[in-house]
Amino acid sequence: MLFNSLAFLLFFPTVCILFYCIPASRIKYRNLLLLLASYYFYMNWKPVYALLLLTSTVLTYLASIGIERSKEQWRRKLCLTAGIVLNLSILVLFKYFNFLALNLHNILELAGLSIPMPSFDALLPVGISFYTFQALGYSIDVYRGKTVAEHNFLTYALFVSFFPQLVAGPIERSCNLLPQFKSKHLFDDVRVMQGLRWMLWGYFLKLVLADRCGLYVDTIFNHVDKHNGGSFLLASFLFSFQIYGDFAGYSLIAIGAAKVLGFQLMENFRHPYFSCSVGEFWHRWHISLSTWFKDYVYIPLGGNRVGRMRHYFNLLVTFVLSGIWHGANWTFLCWGTLHGLALCLEKAFGFHGKHQSPARLLYWVVTFVFLCITWMAFRADSLSDVITIATSMVTDMGIPYVQDVGYGVIASALMAIIIVIVKESSEEFDWAIRRMLGRIPLVQYVYMASLIAFISLFGIFGNNQFIYFQF
Amino acid sequence: MKRFFLALFLIFALWLAIDRSGAAIMWWLQQHSQDTTSSKIKHIVEDISADVVLMGTSRCNGHYVPSILSDSLDMSVYNAGIDGSDNIFAQYMVLSYILQYHTPKVVCMEVQNSFLDEEEAAFLTTGYFAPYFGVCAEADSVFRLAGTYTFYKLSHLFRYNTKVLAMITGQFKSHLDNEEHGYIPNPQPDTPPELTHWNTGPFHLSNEKQEYMEKFIQRCKERDIMLCFMISPAFSIVDSTYYAQLKAFSAQHQIPLLDYHTPGYYLNQPDYFKDSYHLCDKGAQHYTSMFAHSLKQLIALQGRLTPEAISYRSLDSSDWAERGI
Repeated sequence: MLFNSLAFLLFFPTVCILFYCIPASRIKYRNLLLLLASYYFYMNWKPVYALLLLTSTVLTYLASIGIERSKEQWRRKLCLTAGIVLNLSILVLFKYFNFLALNLHNILELAGLSIPMPSFDALLPVGISFYTFQALGYSIDVYRGKTVAEHNFLTYALFVSFFPQLVAGPIERSCNLLPQFKSKHLFDDVRVMQGLRWMLWGYFLKLVLADRCGLYVDTIFNHVDKHNGGSFLLASFLFSFQIYGDFAGYSLIAIGAAKVLGFQLMENFRHPYFSCSVGEFWHRWHISLSTWFKDYVYIPLGGNRVGRMRHYFNLLVTFVLSGIWHGANWTFLCWGTLHGLALCLEKAFGFHGKHQSPARLLYWVVTFVFLCITWMAFRADSLSDVITIATSMVTDMGIPYVQDVGYGVIASALMAIIIVIVKESSEEFDWAIRRMLGRIPLVQYVYMASLIAFISLFGIFGNNQFIYFQF
Repeated sequence: MKRFFLALFLIFALWLAIDRSGAAIMWWLQQHSQDTTSSKIKHIVEDISADVVLMGTSRCNGHYVPSILSDSLDMSVYNAGIDGSDNIFAQYMVLSYILQYHTPKVVCMEVQNSFLDEEEAAFLTTGYFAPYFGVCAEADSVFRLAGTYTFYKLSHLFRYNTKVLAMITGQFKSHLDNEEHGYIPNPQPDTPPELTHWNTGPFHLSNEKQEYMEKFIQRCKERDIMLCFMISPAFSIVDSTYYAQLKAFSAQHQIPLLDYHTPGYYLNQPDYFKDSYHLCDKGAQHYTSMFAHSLKQLIALQGRLTPEAISYRSLDSSDWAERGI
């Protein structure tokens, strides 16, 4: 079920009403309702894949119980390793098998061996990377003693499958979310209203910003051989906002929906395009994933408490893995590597983005241009497309081609971008007017009513998939 | 809880006020816009009085010159083609709005496989008519089918979704300078298009699309309107079976189908095309002359066409003689 579908607009209020109809003290029944709702939400897409979700849940549940009950270190390690390997096997099978098989075949062919490789033809289960990582994070936390193993299977199953963040995050931590399933959630009108406000802004980001930018981006990137460098430049710029609107929009709807139900999910985006360095960007972009990689990959590798070269190596490995997490394609690997290299360079030369203006402005420009260029690699369908695009941007810089989508689409997209920049500037720089107006409830209501009207006027309503669903 | 419901009520009331007042402004903008689509839709819904009405997509919009047809047929002609409306539902809406106040003598519809193909997008451009929601029950039936009916009923502003900027720019700049009874000439490109091959196998017929095609035919029959389908030239090669299902459908319902694409008209004239789908003005002028000749004969012969004669590759007089008509 998509957040931007009519089905969800009926599903969500129904779940909320039922949830609050159950007395707050009956936590078990509320959790049962949320679990059933979460599986219904997931099964709306492809029912059989709910079995994968259940398998992942059972595996990590058993592994964590095993870790807790084992006295010897080797047994604890064995349980953890088994949980990780089995879980990752499912992920690898569905997400990376064909990619690995194809590349192995190509390598063998280069060596003169033509061995036919098997293929695994199945649709990628929605959100598999998200819930797998969330479940793995939990097992590792239990192993490290940062959290106690959850014995109530129903509660644990809800932790893995909680519908607001099930298919595209934020990737939650057990120490944040699990205890919330054990506490009472009383109806709080201020909190509910705030959740609805976040959801509305999320819908704006998705339907007005992302999907409108997407009209141009898809036209250009789906026919890379037919466009000039100017078109690619504009498309890369718009894609920066499309992916932000798409993913930050999804996250906000998820966080807002959870808030309406009384749950506090972690922040996932903090105005990333105000970053003045790549390092700062990763403190603001997909925070739940970047902190996951920091906690479970970068720090175990040694983090920055090692020699300089080893530190760079750790950074690079983390970002390469982060790139490949996004998908089985060399383009994602290329994107992750570029970010890793940029971060190494920043560390080596002491760029940290914490400078005073006007140097800060220069750093911001350099960072934003770098992000736009690397998004181009992220969006392209193949590495050869990346090369074609890069070549066009150097050798064939003409006027961007906009006839196919029309000037209206570009103008609406730019208008949405300006609105987002103004709103986020007011938050980033803590404008006094925002603080003042934010205290007046009527202004908040006018804001929400206007947002609904604006979305109905400028939104794209075609049940477009969220980009991050494919990851 | 009470405070929450009060807040919800306030938001709803504010939204209703913004929605209705915003829609009133949009209506004014729509009525005064000189952009290509808004003004054409307005004309279709309120103001057509022509004897011959041409319908279809951009391939109709830019391929049929009403003045040439008018001279040849001695009848008034209006080109009601709408860009992007490559589905029968949008065409059914055009017909329904016109039949509310006027009965043309002849309706000529430029058709394509997407009018029947289940896989092709169904309701593209039907939203263009949303500002006229509630004006015509037959047209509103398409909104029900598209799933937008309730939303249009609920939000008046939503009826102008994605149209705003075109309507605003249409206040300051007319896009209708060279418009002639609905015909908008396509410019000649700097470089001629490349010849392409269109290959598709048989497609799944959509039940809904067939139903609306039949309703379209039925409504014409009820008003004694002569109906004719045509497929204008494209700069592409197709095999003889490319339009087989469309032709079978036309033959089954005894509607003449004039196919100028399959025989490969103008394939040696790339300068007649804007791109592989569309004729430029030069090509449209030439094609309309040829089509006018066939249509004139078709109108004259309407009463005595045999079922086997009404669907074949083209209708020009030499072919007719060969077929003993």
